[in-house]
Order: sequence, then C-alpha cells, then structure tokens
Amino acid sequence: MPDMPNDSQRTMPVLPVEAYTSQEWFDLEQARIFSRTWAYAGFAEDISEPGQYTSVQAGLNNIFIVMGRDRRLRAFHNICRHRGTQLLRAVGHTQRAIVCPYHDWTYDLEGNLISVPNQEREFPDLDMTCLGLKRASVDRWRGMLWVHPDANAGSIMDWFGEVEPHLGPHKVDDLEEYKDGRTEHEIAANWKIVVENYIDGYHLAHLHSGTLAMYDHARIESGFVGPHFAFWEPLAPEYAEDLENNAPTPLVIPAEQAGAWVPMLFPGIGLGETESSWSVFHVTPLAPDRTRVVTRTRVADTSLWEFVWQSFRSYGFWARRSGGKFEGNASDPMASGDFMAEDIYACEQQQRSLGSPYFEHGPSSATGETGVRQHQELVRNWVNGQ
Amino acid sequence: MKGGFLSLRVLDTRAETQDATSVLFEIPPTLQDVLCWRAGQHITLRFFVEGREERRSYSISEMPIADGRLRITVKRVQGGLISNHINEHVAPGDTIEVMPPFGGFCLVPNSRARRTYYFFGAGSGITPLYAMIRTVLAAEPHSTAHLAYGNTDESAIIFRDALAGLEEEYGGRLTVRHILSSPSWKSALQYWRRGRIDAECVAALINECPPYAQDTQYYVCGPGDMNAVVRTALLGLDVPGERIHMESFGNTTPPDDSVVGVAAAMSVRLNGKVLTVRAGPGQTILNAVRTTGNTPPFSCESGVCGACRAQLRNGSAHLRARMALTDAEVDQGVILTCQALPTTPQLTVEYD
Repeated sequence: MPDMPNDSQRTMPVLPVEAYTSQEWFDLEQARIFSRTWAYAGFAEDISEPGQYTSVQAGLNNIFIVMGRDRRLRAFHNICRHRGTQLLRAVGHTQRAIVCPYHDWTYDLEGNLISVPNQEREFPDLDMTCLGLKRASVDRWRGMLWVHPDANAGSIMDWFGEVEPHLGPHKVDDLEEYKDGRTEHEIAANWKIVVENYIDGYHLAHLHSGTLAMYDHARIESGFVGPHFAFWEPLAPEYAEDLENNAPTPLVIPAEQAGAWVPMLFPGIGLGETESSWSVFHVTPLAPDRTRVVTRTRVADTSLWEFVWQSFRSYGFWARRSGGKFEGNASDPMASGDFMAEDIYACEQQQRSLGSPYFEHGPSSATGETGVRQHQELVRNWVNGQ
Repeated sequence: MKGGFLSLRVLDTRAETQDATSVLFEIPPTLQDVLCWRAGQHITLRFFVEGREERRSYSISEMPIADGRLRITVKRVQGGLISNHINEHVAPGDTIEVMPPFGGFCLVPNSRARRTYYFFGAGSGITPLYAMIRTVLAAEPHSTAHLAYGNTDESAIIFRDALAGLEEEYGGRLTVRHILSSPSWKSALQYWRRGRIDAECVAALINECPPYAQDTQYYVCGPGDMNAVVRTALLGLDVPGERIHMESFGNTTPPDDSVVGVAAAMSVRLNGKVLTVRAGPGQTILNAVRTTGNTPPFSCESGVCGACRAQLRNGSAHLRARMALTDAEVDQGVILTCQALPTTPQLTVEYD
C-alpha cells in the first residue's frame, strides 16, 4: 500500500460546490472522465454464448458487446452508420447479423456492413467497406466485462495492472452470482458524494457502528494506486477468533487471509471483496444530483447462501452486534441495520445541504478522509484534461 | 548479415523421441547480438554432402534467453538426407555452419499485454510453438495459452514431459491437449481426442477453453494440409484472418507449376548495388541472380521460410509457392525469389 501523501491541503473543498450541483460540471465529467476510461459492463457470465449481446452506456457512448462464434467478444459503438439509430437494445441474442431496426441496414459480427435494402436503386455508388460499425475495446477482467470507447485503448492491464496486487486473493470467476443479492438504488446525490462516502475510512466506525463491526477499522490500510483507491482492513479480533461460527456464509478465501478489500476503481466502480462474498458497487451518474448504484454479489455456494442469508441474524455474533445506529422503526434508515441504507441517508443529506446558502465545508480528517480529498483532486485533474 | 554463415559448436545433443533430436549450440559472447531471436524463428544450417551444398531451416525450440545457448529440435524425415544425418551423427564438439535466426512466424511478448493464445501443432511443428509457449508463460504474466498437439501416437510426442511440467508450474495459464491419430492400445497417456487436428477439434478446443482475455491470437504449425484445415476452421468461426499466424512444416501443398516462366532482363538491387541479370525461361529469379556470382539471401528454397523475399517494383512474376507470404504482402508485390518465375520480359527487383 502506498504511503499516505502529504496533508498540505487538509481542508476541503478541493472542488467547488458547483462540482456537485451544476449541469456544466456533470457534462464535463461525462465527456472527460466517463467517455475516456474503461467502463464496467456487467459480469463476465452475462455473455456466455455466441450471439448473446449486451449494451452499456459509458459516458456519452453507447457500446454493445456481442460474442462471436469464436467465443471472442466484440464491442462496437451502438450507432447505425446510416442515420445513427441505436442498433441493439439492452440484452438479447442475435444470429450472425445485426440489423438496424430503422431501414434494415445489416452488419455482420465483425461490424462490416453487409446489406443495404434496395442498394442498387437508392445507393448506387455506396462503398460499403467504408461504413462498418465503429469499433470499441472490450475485455474481461476479474470476473467482469469492461468496455472502452477507443478501439485502440490498449491492454486493460495498463489501467488495472498496478492496482491488481492490492486487491483481494479472490478467484472471482470461480464464485457464482447470488442473483437475489442484486440491488439497485437511485440516490438523490451527486456521484462524487457516493464515491467519497465509499472511500471515507473515517465514517466506518461511526455511521456503521452496528453494521460493519466485524472489521477492525483501526487497522485500515488504504491509498490511491494511480487513479484507483485501494482499501484493506482485517477482521476484528473477536470476530476472527471464531470465524467458522461467526461468518454468515461459507468463506470465499482461505481463513488466514480473511479481511475486507474495498477498493474504488476509477471512475465509480467499487468492489467489496470480503472473506464470505464478493460484490461490485457500480456508480452511474444520472444527473448532477442523481446517481444510480447497482450492486451484484458473488458467493461460494448460492444455495447455501440463500439459507444463511435468511437466518444469519440468529448467529451469535450477529445477534449481539448487528443493528441500526439508532433504536427505532425499521423503516428509518438509521435504524434499519442496513449499511447501504445508512450510506444513502448520509449522501442525500449532504447533497441537500449543498443547496443551503449557509453551507460551508468543514475541516477534513488527517488520515481517514485523505482519500476523499485525493479523489476530488483526481476528478479535478481529469476535468481539466490533466 | 543475410547470407552470412557462422560456425557454431555443438554443446550437447539429446534424443527427444525415437525420431527427434535436440541440438544445443553454444553462442560465443561475441555473437550474442547476431544470434538473438524471437520465439518462433528458425536458423538455417549448411552442410556439404558429397561436394554438394545442402541447406535446411529448423525452428529454434527454446524461448529467447541470453544464456549463451540456442537449441533446435530436428525430427527425422523419411529418406531425408540432413534430418537423418543430424539424428544419427551430430555429436557434442561438432561445428556446424549456421545462418542467424530469421522468420516472420514469431511471437513478440509484451509484459503488459493480456492475451489468450491458441496453439495448434502437429509433429515437429511443436518446436517453434514450444518456444512461443515458454515465452508467453515467462514474459506475458497476464496471458494464457491453450495447446492442441497432434501426433500419431504417444511415443512421437516431442517435449511431452516438458509441456506437462509447464502446465503444472504455471497453474491455469497453460492447458495442453493431445490428439493421437493411432494411439497404441497400451497407451498410458490420457489423450484428449483421437484423430487429427480438424475443424471439429478446433471448435472443441475453443468451446472448452473460451478466451478469457479478449485479445486472442492463433498460432498454427504443422504439415501443410493441417494448417489449411485449421485456418479454414478458424475463419469459419469468424476469427479475423489477421489474428491467425501460420508456418508450414513437412509436406507442404504441391507447387503451382501451371505457369512457365519467360526469359527476362532484370534490374536487381542487392546490397546497395544495382545488377543487370538475365533469367532464362523457367529459371527462378533467385537462381538467375546466383549465377552472376552474387550472394542473394535464401534458405529453404521451397517458399516456406521467407529468407529470399524481395520487392517487385516493375513487371510481374509467378510464385510457385508462397507459404511465407500473407495475401497482403503478395498484393503489395512482395515475392519469394526462390519461387518466382518472371512472366514479363522486363523486371525490377529489390531485395530488402
């Protein structure tokens, strides 16, 4: 883990309030961050058969991924070369061709334009070889699909190679998705607030005092590795002592390596890699003050997970420790015992306060919030075109 | 440098199978720069047998490492003069004349690259593939490799133990599948399939081992007919042609003798000089240049190795064989002079 950088700039804001509230900042981020980086496009197994496809919005670009008969993935910009119509919607299955719904222009899975209706009459001089679909890059990494709008983006390891050694020892591809574990939330806050909350180590022992007590927040190791934030914390000693009985689900990594790796890959792809599960926390900006978060989870054995998920609160450690920060009605996020609900509550409250004329940034903590400041610097640099 | 032979001492020999022998050459420190190679490249050996010069190209069967050695592995060809000579007579301490490594069938590793490699090999076609596999495992830590390797039976498998060792050593990064055309009934080897490397086998490998990293590359090295079958099968699965790399070993497709060359006056640029050369009817450009006493580069004289390649600037020529060239190169006027017969009375040829 890299050393903590200097704390010359302890006070926020690195970014002005407008960075969290204005359409102008949102548009700049879409163009300069989300349209120029590798984007998460789902789990690797989402496309497992030739002909299957999925499409993803990555900043300003809509990109689809399709598997060819050689079982290799191809990625193209989802734009017909005729009038720009979106070719494929959401997810589905195609045969050997992609047909535009508008005028039936047809492309093969290499993106070549192979047929134009009434071509002889309507487009007598058309050079079809110049009208292939525009390519994008696609790869699989750590059990996930990734796309990049640039056909010559280079190796995905140029982007993730440095941070990879700081991630968990999980064999992600060997774990299966627990489908009922999927969550989707629309949060009334800017995406950076959601990300900053994710990488804020200072809040864990406080906001989540009742929900994340199995980890030893005092022994966190974290920091930026290139544009990515790496984070690790060990199990709390009391929890680790009797891990077999305390863990709600079968372990996904060897017990002696147990702990939590909770990196935030840039921009806005959080991972939650723990001793008993592996999750992705995908942050998508929708508007300056609206953000979608989709989580998906993998476990060692889904049938077993189902059983324990239902009953895990009866486990000794959990019965004593789990619970909301406050006593009260379970519909109150702060009493729900659900750390996601706690986080959303905190994020939305922050966003709301940004609109107050009396709002003023307070001081930030020496170590626990270093990452938050650095993420703001990172965003500022990318928006400034580095 | 091309055309120049170096004398290398044989450090050691080793029987890999009944019919294949590895020869380990010593690279003197002074020749280390000249004798560096890329995985997949070959060297040309020159022997004089009964006063006649014989040249043969053999793949270097080890990855490029600067340890002062270079290994080739030679399988006997039935009735083959040189391959049998090497298997029977070459011994440590011998000196053999060798032309520096070359060849376009090669794999250049990139430590940041993340690729999935599919290797299809048969018989002695494993020799360049073995060098490539070793290179991928050692120098491209993010890449994985799958090998389908065809042989007649278990006893003919070259590098069988070494491949098994690599599979073990590198965990999931290498898988090896053996295909045997006539396995012995007492075969102890758990082979993957029976038969030959055909379209079904190609599809089966890809279905069993779909690419993880999406930058896929396909390397094919076997007898000429196997290469064509694998290439057709891959293209049939929509693998883009530029991802398929091939080199032919053993019985290549028969030369195309449908065209007879005409007599031609040629302007030939070689080693910075422009020569005027006359080719007789039916004479290859290479032979015509050699009769002038000059030393143009060449090696296999069968259109496989590419050592004799040149650029045709003017006129046209028929290529009897062109295994070493891609379609794009042929379109750009690249020729193999050992296979090129002039078809116009005037030609301009430039060696690289």
